[in-house]
Amino acid sequence: MTSAPWLAPRIALSQQRERVLTLLSFLLPLLIWAAVSYTPFIWHPNMEITEPGSVNYFQEGMQIERETFQEEYNTQLEAGGELPQGFRANPVYLPAPHEVAIAFYTSFTTEPRRRSEQWLHESLWHSIQIIFWGFTLSSILGVPLGILSGTFAAVSRLHEPFIEFFRYLPAPAFGALAVAILGIYDGPKIAIIFIGTFFQQVLVISNTTRKLDIALLEAALTLGANRRQLLFKVVIPGVLPQLYKDQRILLGWAWTYLIVAELIGTSSGITWFITQQARYQNFDNVFAAIMMIGIIGLLSDLLLARLGKRLFPWERSSNKS
Amino acid sequence: MQRCNLTSRIIVFVVLTLSLASPSQAAAETLFVGYSDWPGWVAWEVAVEKDWFAEAGVDVQFEWFDYAASMEAFAAGQLDAVTMTNGDALVTGSTGAQSVMIIIGDYSNGNDMVVAAPGIKSVSELKGKRVGVEIGFVSHLLLLDALESVGLTEADVELVNVPTNEAPQVLASRDVDAIVAWQPNSGQSLSRVPGSTAIYTSGDQPGLIYDVLAVSPRSLYANREEWSKVVDVWYRVVDYILDPATVDDALSIMSARVGLSPEEYAPLLAGTRLLRREEAKGLYQETEGFDSLHGSTSISNDFNLRYEVYRDPQDLEAYIDSSFTLGK
Amino acid sequence: MTKLDLPNYKDQSPEVKARFDDLKQRDVILDVKHLGKIFDSAKGPVTALEDINFQVHRREFVTVIGPSGCGKSTLIRTLAGLESATSGEVLLEGAAVSGPGPDRGMVFQGYTLFPWLTVKKNVMFGLRNQGVSAVEAESEALEWINLVGLEKFAEVYPDQLSGGMKQRVAIARALAAKPRILLMDEPFGALDAQTRSKMQAYLLEIWRHIDITILFITHDLDEAIYLADRILVLDAHPGRVSELIEVPVSRPRAPEQLLRPEFLAARQRLDELIHPPGQGDEEVGKLNMLRFANVGEEVQPQN
Ligand SMILES: Nc1ncnc2c1ncn2[C@@H]1O[C@H](COP(=O)(O)OP(=O)(O)OP(=O)(O)O)[C@@H](O)[C@H]1O
Ligand SMILES: [Mg+2]
Repeated sequence: MTSAPWLAPRIALSQQRERVLTLLSFLLPLLIWAAVSYTPFIWHPNMEITEPGSVNYFQEGMQIERETFQEEYNTQLEAGGELPQGFRANPVYLPAPHEVAIAFYTSFTTEPRRRSEQWLHESLWHSIQIIFWGFTLSSILGVPLGILSGTFAAVSRLHEPFIEFFRYLPAPAFGALAVAILGIYDGPKIAIIFIGTFFQQVLVISNTTRKLDIALLEAALTLGANRRQLLFKVVIPGVLPQLYKDQRILLGWAWTYLIVAELIGTSSGITWFITQQARYQNFDNVFAAIMMIGIIGLLSDLLLARLGKRLFPWERSSNKS
Repeated sequence: MQRCNLTSRIIVFVVLTLSLASPSQAAAETLFVGYSDWPGWVAWEVAVEKDWFAEAGVDVQFEWFDYAASMEAFAAGQLDAVTMTNGDALVTGSTGAQSVMIIIGDYSNGNDMVVAAPGIKSVSELKGKRVGVEIGFVSHLLLLDALESVGLTEADVELVNVPTNEAPQVLASRDVDAIVAWQPNSGQSLSRVPGSTAIYTSGDQPGLIYDVLAVSPRSLYANREEWSKVVDVWYRVVDYILDPATVDDALSIMSARVGLSPEEYAPLLAGTRLLRREEAKGLYQETEGFDSLHGSTSISNDFNLRYEVYRDPQDLEAYIDSSFTLGK
Repeated sequence: MTKLDLPNYKDQSPEVKARFDDLKQRDVILDVKHLGKIFDSAKGPVTALEDINFQVHRREFVTVIGPSGCGKSTLIRTLAGLESATSGEVLLEGAAVSGPGPDRGMVFQGYTLFPWLTVKKNVMFGLRNQGVSAVEAESEALEWINLVGLEKFAEVYPDQLSGGMKQRVAIARALAAKPRILLMDEPFGALDAQTRSKMQAYLLEIWRHIDITILFITHDLDEAIYLADRILVLDAHPGRVSELIEVPVSRPRAPEQLLRPEFLAARQRLDELIHPPGQGDEEVGKLNMLRFANVGEEVQPQN
């Protein structure tokens, strides 16, 4: 069956094809990026000047829109002045892949210049800790609350309407309040991650809990389960695999709050690096930092997916089919 | 089924986070200072790096912030002092977070600019044009001053509200004919839009914007001795930076703080007029106009009232304490 | 409508009669009195059950049959305590029931095994709820798994089992909790014909060997007769007892009996009750007669 079609609705791919496509999913964007960066006739809306010629405001190394360059070039041509020279370039905010790769490497290997400065990996580690605590605190409260309100209508009624309202409030708007209460260091940052995660978490998990087949509860009842046993021996194990998947998605959301969270209070973590580099237009470093976050996110999710397979062996065979 | 309600859970969370993350504020001797990315404030880094506070026998903890976040943290009572402009000290004070300016660190000497698109070479040409400016903040004040210098008023231009850090893009988009911003955004606007010119800068009106160290009255009252030592360290820093023999070392420390090379940083420092103690002393007279802190702050106060940044005039006397510099 | 020349379904051989006499002497396990159930739906109240009365004796096998939507599931769910009755009462060994309990085991059409538990742990579930120690529960569970012939699959998760195997686990799980009565709602409805007849044999085997009373819902007429001592026939809209038929077929049952005259007599009676003449059109009548010869194949009763 080597000639199975590539596009068969809902049919699993062979392992080899899966690998090829996974690779492509990363290669394609990279190729587009490389094409835009290295092919001078694709995009490249600016000219980087190498020779200012007689144009008074041109400087070597300056970037200028192609049209303007052409106008000045023509003016000089007519006036018989010295002609400016330059090559096509992309704006500074789109660095080329190799520049980002170099920035990626050097940013990790550059020693801190000040005593109080941190290595980049230390800053990243700090950011990871912020995420970890924000997400963990949120989960400690959000997961049980979600399960309870998915199980008991009364619990759900008691707070879900409020949470439905609250989740629309932008978490970063609570920054000033968080600083006033929790100080200027990690407290308010963790609080923003918490606020950004918690309310979604309760709703997502209570929804997941509600989707558990009621027949399983009924079966347990006819097998003499009391309310506590129903909760701990049916509801919780029953929702665990899906809950775990929910948590993985929610963890991704928590990461998206990192940048705003770390802008609150003292500048710290990877955000300090990103904003500072962006302020001085070092976009290769900015891109490198964005990649780091992406890579950390992807790796941790892969790790969790692996772990999930071990934790929930009964799910394995149903995934295969 | 036992279950505590949501609010008590949140309280537990708050307590938990507090105990996890709150600074050791109990040690009252430590002075917490927030500073941010402006050459006149980055200068403090020299003292931090060289441990001069310890030498002076004062326990100071400098914390790096985004500028707006630093004022927020000060307003929230989380800091003993913060670096800001004299105008912003009034704004922060109007919200209830009173402060006392004990150091006039520098004034902007060209770092704040009105950058005009190619073709516009002077302020008077702005008549009838669109200008991007952060309305109600220092840039706005600079623009008014620029217009006044050629006999124009605000009514002669059309204002567009543009945050300072977006100024380069906005000017490049050609949606406006000029922008007002400070470094590094002003410089970037110039390089981003070839042919653009700085038609007016804070160098044309020294004293329009003073950058100060503002201390909370409570901390100042409780730790007068300590703050006096901090002020001494500051003038040591200024001397170090302004001394040609040591300026390179200072530059390398300061540029490292913001993630630039010393060469990149040198021009930014040049647009900032750091004040030695003797120069600063002269700025404490109670005169009108920009050549005194009092005069400049009073103009800011009028400006803030006019643009309804706040409603009630601030008591300027309470904001200025000259004794640390004058050595009374 | 042609009729085969069959004996009256009420004629009982001496052997069968003796069996029923014995049955009626036994204790009443389940006593349903004037049971009624009205649902409040969006379109207004729906009367699902009205004045249901019947008794089930110890170790009796009663099947329930009736047109789709007549309230079979509602009846069994009310007996299990999963629905509350609107009127009347249900007595289990003389005590009124309210709410679900381990004394009434239930097997659902949709297996309802706990996917996160192995076969063994599934069967142990009811025992553990009752506070039986893990060791004891395990050895007891293994006995039940043996009984349904799944000893090789004790450590396997349910989703690796076929439908028939799953339902055997479900039966073992229900029985392990030692109920007084086993309530089964179309347990074999989702199985193919072959598996289904095997399962019927299994169930009868188990029932013969242990002290269990069974109330079994089906919409398959042959299954209803093949398994039952008595058949409770329900009418639709509202659900009411139309007749309680004593099956004139001797025990133990064997597939050959499906063609015996007394079996067919019962079969014809059920057909009359569920598809009364004049209610369906001629076509349907013919179809029904066709089915007569096609023993073992199930066709959804319709009206
Ligand atoms: N929860 C409910 N709310 C409202 N009406 C219901 C509810 N459950 C059942 N009914 C109605 O009660 C009647 C009996 O339903 P029930 O499911 O007991 O029938 P059934 O005999 O089991 O049908 P089937 O042969 O299709 O399984 C139907 O008319 C049905 O629509
Ligand atoms: Mg049903």
